[in-house]
Amino acid sequence: MNMTSLIDVTFLLLVYFMVSMVISRPEDRLNPTIRTQDESVSGDAADFQPQVVEVMLVNNVPTYRLGQHDMVSPEQLEEKLANLPTDLGVFIRGSSGISVGFAMAAIQAARDAGFEEVTYVPME
Amino acid sequence: MRLTPVGKRDRRLLLELTPMVDIVFLLIIFFMVTSEFARDARADVELPRLAGEQLEQSEEAGLFINIDEAGNIVLSTSEDPISMDELAKRVRLHVAGEETPRVTVRADRQGPMKVFNEVIRVLDEAGVSSARIATEVPR
Repeated sequence: MNMTSLIDVTFLLLVYFMVSMVISRPEDRLNPTIRTQDESVSGDAADFQPQVVEVMLVNNVPTYRLGQHDMVSPEQLEEKLANLPTDLGVFIRGSSGISVGFAMAAIQAARDAGFEEVTYVPME
Repeated sequence: MRLTPVGKRDRRLLLELTPMVDIVFLLIIFFMVTSEFARDARADVELPRLAGEQLEQSEEAGLFINIDEAGNIVLSTSEDPISMDELAKRVRLHVAGEETPRVTVRADRQGPMKVFNEVIRVLDEAGVSSARIATEVPR
């Protein structure tokens, strides 16, 4: 039995799968809790509000707003968040005018700053 | 002239290759089919370039919701884009009977936040408490 052609085909398929594995980009995930605005905290729980980061356009510039501070890069946001207590968690509120990538970078910054509880809330 | 002594069996090893060839081809077909299925649920979108949570254990991805740059919602590359109402129906079907429904949102990094927010509202209304947002790990 001549095995040459079989071995050729097998090696070609092997090379194909190896190359396609290298080309496919590695993926990971962010896993925030999701909430809508109607479920906002009320009553006694409101005394213990988490940090809120608003991701919005300010003068047509995509901006992260944390309290009185406006930041334009995820690195700046992470630096600010790293100075805050992490036990109450953080809410990320994304407005419609920005890109998905910019808003998701806020979730990543919160995770990198040490927040275990990150909640995403879509803004109107 | 016979050189082998009379009554002695031929001891040459005959390697039977047919089962091996069968198994090799079955494995190749299996991997080709499974990789096609995996690719079918992942539309070609430019995910946000973020490290993600870098968890060691891998979990079942569940339902994939792809949002492309134009804001089209695609559940599978073999299907046409669907409307928000259709998405709500499909999510409810997926969630029904599942204790912890798993949904992965694969949104293009340049995609519109308006559509992403609507998808999040649909998930919340269907009872999905936590969404997995796919990211592309920077090399």
